[in-house]
Amino acid sequence: MKLAKVLFISYLTMIAFVLTAAFVIGGLGR
Amino acid sequence: MKRSSGRDNSLSIVFGVLLLITLLGQALVGLAGYNEAARTDGLAEIDLLRYVTSSSFAVDVAENWQSEYLQFTLFILLTVWLVQRGSSESKAPEDAGFDSDEKERVGRFAEQDSPAAVKAGGRRAGLYSYSLTLVMATIFVLSWAAQAVAGRVAYNEERLRDLLDPLSLQAYLVSPDFWGRTLQNWQSELLAVGSMAIFTVFLRQRGSPESKAVGAPHSETPA
Repeated sequence: MKLAKVLFISYLTMIAFVLTAAFVIGGLGR
Repeated sequence: MKRSSGRDNSLSIVFGVLLLITLLGQALVGLAGYNEAARTDGLAEIDLLRYVTSSSFAVDVAENWQSEYLQFTLFILLTVWLVQRGSSESKAPEDAGFDSDEKERVGRFAEQDSPAAVKAGGRRAGLYSYSLTLVMATIFVLSWAAQAVAGRVAYNEERLRDLLDPLSLQAYLVSPDFWGRTLQNWQSELLAVGSMAIFTVFLRQRGSPESKAVGAPHSETPA
């Protein structure tokens, strides 16, 4: 289950990163 | 068959890698399209880094994400109550609604190796029993909001090229651009779910957990 946990966290982190970036980019008006 | 960590997780790994490849492809093709339009309008071209940190790229990513997560959120939640007799994606019609604590292995039916939240019981177990829907719905809402925020900037850039006034976020939320992007994605997701539900009644894929056994009768609803 160790790799499964890494994958689970990786997906969530990637989603959080991309969505945060989208808000920042939109917020900055880029 | 021998157990191996990579093989045990191949579904998540392969889809994750394919996601990264297609996202890169989307960025490269999107950049080419963006620069083509810029050349036509006599504007400066941009590089890849500038493009992937642009609202044009962000809105294109977000609008597809929100619809995928809406699709799964609806599918996870509505299949609690709605059924399709004979579909591999459905419960048996007589099982519609919430299952018993015994079947869900919660409360006094929790087992030694049940998740910690379930064994803790109370509010924590209650919250955990909706965690999949909550996380999927949260990603849907955030993606849709990101689509609105980035979409407004991208749309205003187009408007400025046409010498039109930029829209406020409020005005953008009722604009044809926002709803066009939204609904064109929703309709395709709803079609995919609806057709999957009914197709699996009559069609099969040998070996796939998304399909009934090849020889299963059309009327049989698995699980």
